[in-house]
Amino acid sequence: MEANKVDRKSRKFKDFETFDLKESTQYFLLPFRFHRVTAEKEIIVNEVGDYLILPNGTFEKIVKRQINKEIDAELYGDLIANFFISEQAIPPLIDVLATRYRTKKLFLNYFTGLHIFVISLRCEHTCHYCQVSRVTQNRDLYDMSIANIDKGIDIMFKSPNSHVTMEFQGGEALLAFDNIKYAVEKAEKIAIELGKGLTKVICTNLAIVTEEILEYCKEHKILISTSLDGPQYVHDKNRHKPHASSYELAVKGIELSRKILGHDQVSALMTTTKLSLDYPIEIVDEYFNLGFQGIFLRNISPYGFALRTDKSKYETDKFLTFYKKALDRILDYNFKGHYFTEDLARIFLTKILTPFNVGFVDLQSPAGLINGVIVFNYDGAVYATDESRMLAEQKDFTFKLGTLDDTYNDLFFGKKAQEISQIWANEGLTGCSECAFQQYCGADPVHNHATQGDMYGYRPTSDFCQKNMEIIRYLIELMESDVRIKKIFERWAKTATH
Amino acid sequence: MQFQNKIKDNEIIVFADTSLYSKDSIFKCLYWYGDKFHANLSFADSNTYRVSVKPISTTQLSSDELENLLLKLERDLVDFNLRDIVTKETQNVRDLLIAKAFSNGEFDELPPGEVSDPVGFNPNLS
Repeated sequence: MEANKVDRKSRKFKDFETFDLKESTQYFLLPFRFHRVTAEKEIIVNEVGDYLILPNGTFEKIVKRQINKEIDAELYGDLIANFFISEQAIPPLIDVLATRYRTKKLFLNYFTGLHIFVISLRCEHTCHYCQVSRVTQNRDLYDMSIANIDKGIDIMFKSPNSHVTMEFQGGEALLAFDNIKYAVEKAEKIAIELGKGLTKVICTNLAIVTEEILEYCKEHKILISTSLDGPQYVHDKNRHKPHASSYELAVKGIELSRKILGHDQVSALMTTTKLSLDYPIEIVDEYFNLGFQGIFLRNISPYGFALRTDKSKYETDKFLTFYKKALDRILDYNFKGHYFTEDLARIFLTKILTPFNVGFVDLQSPAGLINGVIVFNYDGAVYATDESRMLAEQKDFTFKLGTLDDTYNDLFFGKKAQEISQIWANEGLTGCSECAFQQYCGADPVHNHATQGDMYGYRPTSDFCQKNMEIIRYLIELMESDVRIKKIFERWAKTATH
Repeated sequence: MQFQNKIKDNEIIVFADTSLYSKDSIFKCLYWYGDKFHANLSFADSNTYRVSVKPISTTQLSSDELENLLLKLERDLVDFNLRDIVTKETQNVRDLLIAKAFSNGEFDELPPGEVSDPVGFNPNLS
């Protein structure tokens, strides 16, 4: 008897038979969506983003109840285990699935984190695609006033989020460095009083950065986010600075910032222009050679001045070709043993391969505007996103939520916010509601409005939809075609969640 | 068969049995053709939908292109009908799932079955 008792203490799972509802001959469908990935393969994705890649025709068989428990035992088991079908009308583990769903939408728990302060609209660059900046010395007209900084900080700390980010943008933010110092010191004091976390970021082209500025940033733990469009012949053409090379100043600034702040305190973002499309390899190499651990291949935003110049118009197809060539190059570096990521892919892969989501404003549902980000403009206006204030520079105030004189409730829960909230979840949008990639994608009413003239958007002609659908499909195709790529992608996703 | 899918005067015409295809699924399918085609849904008779798409541009498509388009439309109609079946069949479970996900635990239930303790983590459990 004693011996038997010891035998029972095993960590082994119970036999499959224990969980097999033998009397069940029919199965019930659970919510999931399907898409054709290649000519031979299709994908099914459940409500929490778990997916299965299957031979074409399998989806039809599942729906028509043609999957046999005995004959298709492995597929049947996978469908049960991954919540695509259930042997009971309500799956016994629905609470587990509900918890997974809640985890995917966890970003809603925190509410607005990123608070962008457009500290000055002044800039010393004259970039051809620039959306907002003014070359001027008129501080009174184009710098954020101290009174508005105070009001912005006050609103920021009303956010229920226990950790807020204060990001200074421009123009060239460093042209108003004295105001940044004032804002940082005031916000730090309040953060301590309220026991809230505070991250500070300055977005700058680094052209006028000095050791003194960087020493201050070090003392106050301020992160630097800069712009680098690629090698000199791309960057300098995109970002024109009178009588100087913007590229040389940016690279020098990156080196100095790393020296003073530390390597990982400096990040760079690129903007893809028509010119960039010819240099996918060179742009990736530039980032790699400068010691970055990845690159974010962003397409140019369709806002403000960007679309008014023919120079920046290009088709999404061309961007996708560019993207795929650049991603191939990035994978080459990884094959050689380097850790080097593409950040848009990393966002999608985190959603595809992990139970978590990513707090990336452009790819959330409900959308990241208001829920994740808010913009305090230099003139006291409050906008739903950075792109919204760019539209405002074209006299389009659709996404203006109010001004810094308004109350928190009026700004975040007012009439305008309620109007936008009607269409900010892709679960309820035509074309998105039955899309297999719904859980990996997001809703972007501002982009829809800017490119198609209404917030709801029309998916068949949406470049947002076309780009995201194809990149997600391509990432899945790559993983399915090469196990090495799947391992690399899994590593990217894993590190993104740490 | 009374109605045959066909290509006529640069127009693709497909027929669908009303007892097999839902109207919702056909509209959802045609939505994706709206950028390049005039899309139309009508009744051929009381039991049959008549689905048609015609290129918006005046340029004539080649016969191969039209043939491929016919195949694509036929396949898309099947795909969207299957999607529609899943959506409608699973609507209640989906609602329940989301209600549970955003609840504060008031809809939680204990998992089925008995909790056993074969390794002896909890001395109070036999």
